[in-house]
Amino acid sequence: MPQRSIKGTETLVAFVLFSGINDKRTCMVASEITVKLDRVTKSFGEFTAVKELSLDVRAGRVFGLLGPNGAGKTTTIRMIVNITAPDSGSISLFGHKIDQKTQDRIGYLPEERGLYRRMRVVDQLRFFAELKNFRGRKVEAKIDEWLARVKLPEWKNKRSMELSKGMQQKIQFITSVIHDPDLLILDEPFSGLDPINVELLKDIVLDLKRAGKTIIFSTHQMEVAEKLCDDICLLNRSQKVLDGSLREIKRSFGRNSVAVRCEGGDGVLDDPALVSKVVRHADEAHALLAAGADAQVLLKRLIGSGAVIGKFEMVEPSLNDIFITKVTEST
Amino acid sequence: MMKLWTVVKREYMQRVRAKMFIVSTILLPLVMSLFALVPAIILNIETPPLRVAVVDQTGKMFAQLKQELSSEPDQATTTTGQNDNTSQRRGFGSRGKFVLDEVSANQPTEQIRATLDQRLNAKELDGYIILPPDFLSSGKADFFTRNAGDLVSYGRLSSALNRAVRQQRLIEANVDTKTRQDLFKPAELQAVRIGAGTQERDSGERFALVFGVGLVMYIAILMYGQIILGAVIEEKETRIAEILFSSVKPFTLMMGKLVGVSLVALTQFAIWGLAFSVFVLYGASALAASGVKGNIPSVPISHYIYFGLFFLLGYFIYGTIYALVGSMVTTAQEGGQLAVPIILILVVSFYLFYPVSRSPDSNFSFWVSMIPFTAPVSMLVRIVTQTPPLWQIALSLLIGFGSVLAIMWVTARIYRVGMLMYGKRASVTEALRWARQT
Repeated sequence: MPQRSIKGTETLVAFVLFSGINDKRTCMVASEITVKLDRVTKSFGEFTAVKELSLDVRAGRVFGLLGPNGAGKTTTIRMIVNITAPDSGSISLFGHKIDQKTQDRIGYLPEERGLYRRMRVVDQLRFFAELKNFRGRKVEAKIDEWLARVKLPEWKNKRSMELSKGMQQKIQFITSVIHDPDLLILDEPFSGLDPINVELLKDIVLDLKRAGKTIIFSTHQMEVAEKLCDDICLLNRSQKVLDGSLREIKRSFGRNSVAVRCEGGDGVLDDPALVSKVVRHADEAHALLAAGADAQVLLKRLIGSGAVIGKFEMVEPSLNDIFITKVTEST
Repeated sequence: MMKLWTVVKREYMQRVRAKMFIVSTILLPLVMSLFALVPAIILNIETPPLRVAVVDQTGKMFAQLKQELSSEPDQATTTTGQNDNTSQRRGFGSRGKFVLDEVSANQPTEQIRATLDQRLNAKELDGYIILPPDFLSSGKADFFTRNAGDLVSYGRLSSALNRAVRQQRLIEANVDTKTRQDLFKPAELQAVRIGAGTQERDSGERFALVFGVGLVMYIAILMYGQIILGAVIEEKETRIAEILFSSVKPFTLMMGKLVGVSLVALTQFAIWGLAFSVFVLYGASALAASGVKGNIPSVPISHYIYFGLFFLLGYFIYGTIYALVGSMVTTAQEGGQLAVPIILILVVSFYLFYPVSRSPDSNFSFWVSMIPFTAPVSMLVRIVTQTPPLWQIALSLLIGFGSVLAIMWVTARIYRVGMLMYGKRASVTEALRWARQT
């Protein structure tokens, strides 16, 4: 817990520092909520992509927008970055209605992303910076800073077609942060990256958070989200099924989860009176206890069935468990 | 506005710096001049002279015919006496020579024909003409040849004979040489344009200019339409579109692309124009020295401004259509197929040149000069024939450039919605629906 409060203070300090640049009024409102969605609905013809979605993304936190494919994550993000407009409901950013100006304060890395093949890396980055009205000499310094940060300084004057796929992804990441945005939106940022580069980008994201930036992070990779997110919102079939602080969500699910490693006794784990849900991994199973069931009873039953028990531990549910439970519940 | 400038700058710099631009700037004029030179060279290929025997049973025609053939412009005719004819220098555009051989007509026609047929078969001759004794009155003669397909030579022989027989008939009617020359002097019809107060000579130079402007426009659209198409598709193929749309409005992006590519086109045409002017300035004195008359058409300054404006209108109207096509497709190949009808409309607008120049003040001419796709060529034709009132010219430009903006607006909408639903080519109805979507 103490570690947590230190982090909170840092965020606050960084936020005060950075908000000095912006006008006072924005700062007052934004000090709480960076992005606010109020009963937002968006349909494409017959298909409703997002339905009555309300969200609060708090300033200086990493917000995970989670959900299976087609849940409406990308549509939600596109509305926040002002690519599409909601059919009904309202969206405000930094306490304002979204417009061209708020767009410049967002950095966006879409899932569908690429680079101009024949353009030099430095020209490319300057182009994207200028499109966010970030221009002048400071751009060059920023470019050097970021290329050094992702360990690609010697590629500055190369055309992007000469870069490997992983390198290109890191350049794409820079295009979303080059203009020092207050809100960073990353849609599946780590897909296709090797573990070393995933760590590198994760560190950068955490640094940005420490510097007071708000980060919205969309993924269906729960392991990554679990490590990065402070708050989450779980979408399924166009609707919100769960949201709040990850810590609180986990707590609310309680320690009604058991990690079991045993040989035999499969029938016991499948008894709906005891276990409401079981997720089997390679060497162990996660069992979510049914309402009113007792872990001790489960253990006794397992032993009684003749199973050889290697591990029996009460655990917090993983985000993955919560995800699967909630998604199956709401489907 | 700053963002528009950023997009324009990128489009322009990326393209002007590309090797393709430099290569095509240098290469295209070379290719073009090759196109102009090759036909001239081919037409100038030396062919052996055509050997024609003439059996002049009238006894009066051979000299006349020989003279008429030799007096053809840029044409040298030799007779059998001169065997060094192949080494003779000939003028540009010369189309081969005739070698005339007079055959005595003292024998019966059948016998002469038999001898000549033999010579024809032995390839000593290419053909022979028999002018019967009553040729002057009947005007009928026979030309026997191995190669009846040589229409050019046949035509030339026939017209020379025609002139010769007329001369001879006049001589027989005792018309003196001076009168005969006067009789054959051609008439010159000069078109005089009635302007405000002044009467100007108009010898087709204006038409040539309008045609030139139209042609340059046509070339520009052919060359750069595909590039605009490619530019619009580029962000779809590289998947950059979504990143861009989080920073810039689709309309700004589309406009920036159109303007950027157009500036590249203008740069290239300016380079060629400049090179051409330098060439003309240096070349003009040389041409003048060699006696070729070259003068700049006498056209009011205002017309040059109209040329510029309508050239831009034509370029942008067709350019935006390419952009529209680009917004509907996902790959450049698809776009290429869909773009074919554009060229068709362009060609049709060219053919309007003729009806509009015939009656520039008709209702038809008025309407085609208002429709954006046909306005550039037909309005220019109207301006140089019977300049329409200023309001008409202004209205045509207004409608035209208004349409450019409207098409770009639709393009931007289709592009944006198309981008949000990847990988699908839009049908026309879908495109229309997308244009209405927010």
